[in-house]
Amino acid sequence: MAKTTLRIGYVPLLDCAIPLVAEAEGFAARHGLALELLPEISWAAIRDKVAFGALEGAHMLAGIPLAVSLGVGLPAIPMVAPMALGLGGNAITVGLGLFRAMRAADPAAMAGPRRDSARALAAVIAREQAEGAPKRRFASVFPVSSHAYELRYWLASAGLDPDGDVELTVLPPSRMAESLGTSQIDGYCVGEPWSLVTLSAGIGAVVATKADIWPLAPEKVLGLRTDWADRNPEVLAALLRAFAEAAVWADAPENRPALARLLAPRLGVDLRLLETALCGSVALAPGRPAEPLPHRPVFHAAAATFPWRSQALWLLTQMARWGQIPRESDFAGVAAAVYRPDLYRAALSGGGLSVPVADLKPEGAHDAPYEVAAVERPAIILPPDRFIDGRTFDPSEPTAYLAGFGRGEVAVPGASG
Amino acid sequence: MTERMLNILVIDEDPGRAGQVEQGLRESGYGRVTVVRPSLDLVRRVESLAPDVIIIDLENPDRDSLEQMFQVTRELRRPIAMFVDQSDAATIQAAIEAGVSAYVVDGLRKERIRPIVDMAISRFNAFDRLRRERDEARSALADRKTIERAKGLLMRQKGLDEEAAYAAMRRAAMKQNRKLVEIAHSIVTAYQLDV
Repeated sequence: MAKTTLRIGYVPLLDCAIPLVAEAEGFAARHGLALELLPEISWAAIRDKVAFGALEGAHMLAGIPLAVSLGVGLPAIPMVAPMALGLGGNAITVGLGLFRAMRAADPAAMAGPRRDSARALAAVIAREQAEGAPKRRFASVFPVSSHAYELRYWLASAGLDPDGDVELTVLPPSRMAESLGTSQIDGYCVGEPWSLVTLSAGIGAVVATKADIWPLAPEKVLGLRTDWADRNPEVLAALLRAFAEAAVWADAPENRPALARLLAPRLGVDLRLLETALCGSVALAPGRPAEPLPHRPVFHAAAATFPWRSQALWLLTQMARWGQIPRESDFAGVAAAVYRPDLYRAALSGGGLSVPVADLKPEGAHDAPYEVAAVERPAIILPPDRFIDGRTFDPSEPTAYLAGFGRGEVAVPGASG
Repeated sequence: MTERMLNILVIDEDPGRAGQVEQGLRESGYGRVTVVRPSLDLVRRVESLAPDVIIIDLENPDRDSLEQMFQVTRELRRPIAMFVDQSDAATIQAAIEAGVSAYVVDGLRKERIRPIVDMAISRFNAFDRLRRERDEARSALADRKTIERAKGLLMRQKGLDEEAAYAAMRRAAMKQNRKLVEIAHSIVTAYQLDV
């Protein structure tokens, strides 16, 4: 039988594993697909190529299909995200100079769990503002990236205004370590292995990870044009099955060394760094013992590929919180049009994998592991999911949640400084 | 503001290609065209130039940084990524294939932008074609040298005249369904020790 060829874009990062494994390990072929995997350096290029039909689909930041559907950054084009591509991966890294200043400014905050580290940064910044020092610069990877929202959330959790108290910038992940080393930036939030690069060079320390800020935060998704998904339901279902099987493979501890070898040449980084990110231990800061990465990527467990609509809603609240979209946006309508758990369920139910019954869940409400019901299968256990500031997100009340951040008006971002 | 007064910025790793785009725009009467190469302070330079239209290589890694800058700019006329009218699928296709991306400040009419994007597309394509032709010319020259060398080796080693040596290579190529230059390569490699 002739295979259907799909052009799938990806940015070389640890979490592009699922599409790469789907092709390399034969899961795509098993479902009648041949994947032409095309690397891109920039998220803008990935977005444009999918939006304008040069790619059928791509590994993309969870915020991109939502932003494109809303016309943020380019004219609106409806897109769907029928699958997430894993959990974990991100960390906030600062240069050693700032790390030492944070430790000196608030030793208690830096001695405890990493979730208090933003308090130490706030103390450093308060002193520097009094001295008239230039603003500290922090980088993420794209305006609507999970990294940007995590960095902003972390800063705001200690009362810092990301658009006023610091300067936020965007850099490609592969340039972060170099930019930190040359003091172009003071810190950054990025997926692995780009924090490990800095740690292994001995020029920085990890001060918070995704696990500290919000353990189950959305990260990457499979993004496609809505009209393509509507016209090709069977091909899309086959792709989702191939990706789901690839996710199971990528999560298996016995496959992680092979996964590191598959990814190393694509990412152009030392194999040992990928082994550390996927299955090793590392000291996150000077004077700390080596530990397994708290933000180690998860590809399949904990419903890691399920596109929870509540997470789309949360992303939309953050876009509105930081002035990227109007506060009056139709959160529920956009989330329902873009995040498509129904497509996921239709493709994967009855195939031996556990698929959640619900489209939404309360986010950030659990201190202990908890269960969500699965379609015709035993319940799925999800890990605790507390936000760094202890808030909970009720997906039926996005507007109230947004109002709770107490930033009454954000008309023009950047104008607050 | 007339069309010709539009402030146009061309960002490209390749100064040759950027020069082609700039020249094309100037010849069409656009007087305010600036070319910059990506650099560490690209964002600040773009900010100070405040262009109406930016033409940039679609795959330029600095695009993500630029988009962040557009988003936090205090200016209300924020540029957005677009290729021209959404309904003009052929132009969008042509832009993507040529590797052209354009950022345009919000509110500029599409018909004013389209000739600029069309010019960039045609110059990107012309530049790629020239480069391809140059590469092909180089490789054709290299092929000819290899064939000459193989012919000389056959003449010396087998005592053939020029015509017979050439005919022998042609016959081998046809019989093995390979290119003449591949046969020539094999001959040169086989005689390498003697050369």
